[in-house]
Amino acid sequence: MTKSLVTLTIDGIEVSVPEGTLIVDAAKKVGIDIPVFCYHPKLHPVGMCRMCLVEIGRPARDRSTGEPIFDEDGQQVIHFGPNLETSCTTPVGEGWVIRVNSEKAREGRKQIVEYLLTSHPLDCPICDKGGECPLQNLTMEHGPGTSRFLFDEKIDLDKHVPLGELIFLDRERCIQCARCVRFQEEVVDDPVLGFTNRGRRLEIITSSDPGFDSYFSGNTTDICPVGALTTADFRFGARPWELNRAASICPHCPVGCNLTLNTRREARAEGRDVIKRVMPRQNEHVNEIWICDKGRFAHHFASSIERLTKPMVRVNGDLVQVGWDEALVRATEGLKDALGRSKGGLVGIAGGRASNEDLYVFRRFIEGLDGHTVLDDNLAGGDLTREMGVGRGTDLGQIGPGDVILVIASDLHEEAPIWWLRLKQAVERGAELIVANARATRLDRYAAHIIRYPYRRAVQTALGLLHAVTKRADLSPFVGDKSLQKVAKLFMKAENAIIFYGREGLDYKASEALAQACASLLTSTDHVGRANNGLIAVWPRVNTQGAWDMGLQPIPSGLGEILEQASAVYVMASDPVADDASLETLLREDTFLVVQELFMTPTAELADVVFPARSFIEREGTYTSGEHRVQRFYPAVLPLGGTKSDWRIVTSLANAMGIELNFPSAAAVMLAIAESVPNYSDLTYQALTIAESQWPHVGGESLYFGGNAFKNSQGLGVQVGPAAEPGEPSEVALTMPVEESEEDGLLLVPITRLYDRGTTVLPSKVLHPRLERLHIELNPKDASHLGVIDGAQVEFRMNGKRFQLPARLVATVPEGIALMPRSLGVSVVNPIPVQISSVE
Amino acid sequence: MRKNPLELLRGLWTTFRSMLESPVTYQYPEIKRPVRERFRGRHELKRYENGLEKCIGCALCAAACPADAIFVEAAENTDEERYSPGERYASTYEINLLRCIFCGFCEDSCPTEAIVLEQNYEVSFTSRRQAIYTKDLLLVPVPTNGRQTPMKVPPGSFERAVPEMEDAK
Amino acid sequence: MLAEKYSSEIESILAKYPDDRKRSAVLPLMYLAQCEYGSVTLEAMIEIADLLDIDVTQVASLIGFYTLLWDRPGGKYRIQICTDLPCALQGAEEFAHQLCEKLGIQLGGTTPDGMISVEGVMCLAACNGAPMFQVQGPDGIQYHERQTVESALALIDELRKRDDSG
Repeated sequence: MTKSLVTLTIDGIEVSVPEGTLIVDAAKKVGIDIPVFCYHPKLHPVGMCRMCLVEIGRPARDRSTGEPIFDEDGQQVIHFGPNLETSCTTPVGEGWVIRVNSEKAREGRKQIVEYLLTSHPLDCPICDKGGECPLQNLTMEHGPGTSRFLFDEKIDLDKHVPLGELIFLDRERCIQCARCVRFQEEVVDDPVLGFTNRGRRLEIITSSDPGFDSYFSGNTTDICPVGALTTADFRFGARPWELNRAASICPHCPVGCNLTLNTRREARAEGRDVIKRVMPRQNEHVNEIWICDKGRFAHHFASSIERLTKPMVRVNGDLVQVGWDEALVRATEGLKDALGRSKGGLVGIAGGRASNEDLYVFRRFIEGLDGHTVLDDNLAGGDLTREMGVGRGTDLGQIGPGDVILVIASDLHEEAPIWWLRLKQAVERGAELIVANARATRLDRYAAHIIRYPYRRAVQTALGLLHAVTKRADLSPFVGDKSLQKVAKLFMKAENAIIFYGREGLDYKASEALAQACASLLTSTDHVGRANNGLIAVWPRVNTQGAWDMGLQPIPSGLGEILEQASAVYVMASDPVADDASLETLLREDTFLVVQELFMTPTAELADVVFPARSFIEREGTYTSGEHRVQRFYPAVLPLGGTKSDWRIVTSLANAMGIELNFPSAAAVMLAIAESVPNYSDLTYQALTIAESQWPHVGGESLYFGGNAFKNSQGLGVQVGPAAEPGEPSEVALTMPVEESEEDGLLLVPITRLYDRGTTVLPSKVLHPRLERLHIELNPKDASHLGVIDGAQVEFRMNGKRFQLPARLVATVPEGIALMPRSLGVSVVNPIPVQISSVE
Repeated sequence: MRKNPLELLRGLWTTFRSMLESPVTYQYPEIKRPVRERFRGRHELKRYENGLEKCIGCALCAAACPADAIFVEAAENTDEERYSPGERYASTYEINLLRCIFCGFCEDSCPTEAIVLEQNYEVSFTSRRQAIYTKDLLLVPVPTNGRQTPMKVPPGSFERAVPEMEDAK
Repeated sequence: MLAEKYSSEIESILAKYPDDRKRSAVLPLMYLAQCEYGSVTLEAMIEIADLLDIDVTQVASLIGFYTLLWDRPGGKYRIQICTDLPCALQGAEEFAHQLCEKLGIQLGGTTPDGMISVEGVMCLAACNGAPMFQVQGPDGIQYHERQTVESALALIDELRKRDDSG
């Protein structure tokens, strides 16, 4: 569906653009910057600030006949209107002539700047935006230099208005462009910001309770063309021109948002470089120019003073700090000694927080010692996403009419907010969204179809869909109702289809069955191996997909069994004891335990040797996103003394143990990965650095943002394709679900909340007012049976332990279910029936 | 010697004359030579009469400094603990006087006339560390009727960071 | 709660708009709240927002936009003087200040007896009759054009008397 081209002339340059393009964008295509304040390419145009005024000339036509008029030379007569017009709201027309830099247009814009400054406080010296401020830049370029208005007539307004815990408003600086209001309304559909009053007294307000607490609130400070909105994190933190920048990838969820880390040396940090702020970096394939507030504010863990900085070894029962050489000797001897004993072998446990390079050398090391690698995770299906993941060239921004997306057993708004945003936008473009979950989530309001199943029946639902598509006889027990048939039809008709599956209410085995059913649904409707088609897992960690690709995978039965037999355990970027306290005794016994970590985690406390690792801001590496995009992150600050990159720790130990693993750099590890991992065969660090120019232009010299944080010159990453080829549906083995017997009590289901209290979130003090507190969520009906009111304490026993915590009554919790947000203090790995009672 | 012998006498006359003049050297450090009004000596951070610091931590001096000798870190004022008018104050202010070339750009760039190159030229150190003048060394003493910073002030009384000033002449 | 006291009124207001355009009922509902409480209180805004499935901020932002709606209590009679440019050229600002001086209040303030508030507002579309104001009270809205301070004071006296007798 290509739109017809329209040709027009802008300041003497002829340009052809698709019909419907706005003049301001058409001008940008030929390198003419029309100044704007309220216009933003990611928002609908409103024409409020009048900064983009231009002269528009349209071909004159005879009023009676409608024929074009020609002058004596046979040239078409162009008729210019008496007034200037806003180029940001006017779509192009055939044969038009636009004058951007005529005397009249320049004069018009000059007056607009003069107007905008009538009540601007001009406190640029203390303004956080000063130095990357579109108002400053455009005033320098287009302003009159002096004002005819009286300084005394400026209106004094509040300069310190907290809109929420994270965003502060300075009402004087606001130029009333409404970018923040429109962002909240159009982009994230959470209209908690509004305008009140009129004219010069127009003010941004929020009356909502809680105030401005959207997960995307930080983005408004980026698109604000003045310093009216500032973040609690960066307020007065540094001047923009003092900041250095490094490209990075957000380490919090599988979306893999591209970041720019702004750093500077601080006296407060004893002269070390510190992260001053985290900004989005444009990648239209991944996060456009948005990031969620967790990505923006939860970076403090990387520079926390709690970080481990020295290797430690256990001496007489206590961990004591030693040098690297000694720690390596101890680890080598300990491992050799433990493996020399006959008992079991070596088990290597790694988490999805580690980079591809770390995981690759980790597997080579552990397997070199005839050990067994385990991925510490409880969502299955990485093998299926490797085979049937989304095809090369997949871009959620291109999903539109005729395309279908299914989200099953996941709450994307909490687990991967940018995916939530991208799917919402896909629906607005015309895609059909199907949301299947046991409870209502924030994605429901964009869904064309909502499938509500009882917890524990996610797999049956997916198999029901599969039956409706394939009519396989062995699936007849799962025949669904009419609505399921309808959804199945959508899949069969869909041009493109993507399935996001999660782990809500599922244990590992059930998630495997769900992944198989979803993959099977995609292959049987021929939705694999192509761009914008395939299976995406909503992984709990940033690089879980990469871990599967590097050859690691979880153990279906959990860690207990294998740890029992192990004589030595090596843990990297993972904290299994925090998730499952019962492992503690297994690791405490005569197992030799080596841990490499950022923090003194419960697992590290049991270790015989602890190596301090580097965080993502201090080193380089790559992560593979849930969409199979391999992206590179760069060192932003000097490493904390005494720490080493995970892969380097592994290689030094490997060499000490006599296993040849010699890599001079992370880039060299990537070359080895490319040789041995099929999908990654054409990857090099150079390839990951390629950054094509993106549309819309928002970084660097663009006028939408005065700084250069958005600019992506360090790489868009490379999407590695799945193994599956289109057109040849491969058979997926299905696991039939086991009917679980109903037990008494409530089913306790772990769910994910964005702001948890994990080790990577808690060190960010700025987020503390927004962090979830430990609680359990109950359905009001169940609660009244139990005699529990909102906020009351309840207790239950689980795995022989007693827990007491406050209850919260939430209507969207299904009956018979209790929800437990993860990482708040009580660890629930899999859904488990519990007896809840109220505490007197 | 073809030259005029008178020239020789003229030269000797100059020598002879200066023997009778009083010496121009000052017996420093007993006697200190007064400096010109526009002399650029060591920096001082000024205060308002009530004791509030003029510096608002904007770091424009650091940006203007051609020798990169100035380092500023800012933080936020509250009415409970107020250092300067407005929202921002300098929590760290350091000048490396070994780097400083006394060009006075910092003074020119200051929006509040907080940093002034005063007339003190007796700047010497015995270590590089000493050459870094911190904020407490640079700040002038509190004027007689003023209070020490941070001070507690009535809410909303010092909202303007940049005072109204006459244009430079 | 509005919903209990005015359930039939609310129903008839909502009935005027299609189901998917429910938010259009926000103005009449706010007017109802204002008649009840004298101003649109935050509780009323929250209730209206819930009724119409919109965010409370969207309700609150309208109050500032319309000069006929208030979010804080004022006098029983509100004298709203147009002080926009054409009226100001005709002396409306001067008129407003003098009137306030006579009443002993600030512009935007309320007399100690709680009867009269005076406020400056945006265009009331009666420039030809400036200085002019409108009076909003329990008995609706009246325009008063070509006013002097004396005529306004006379009107205020009359309003006070009317209230005493009524």
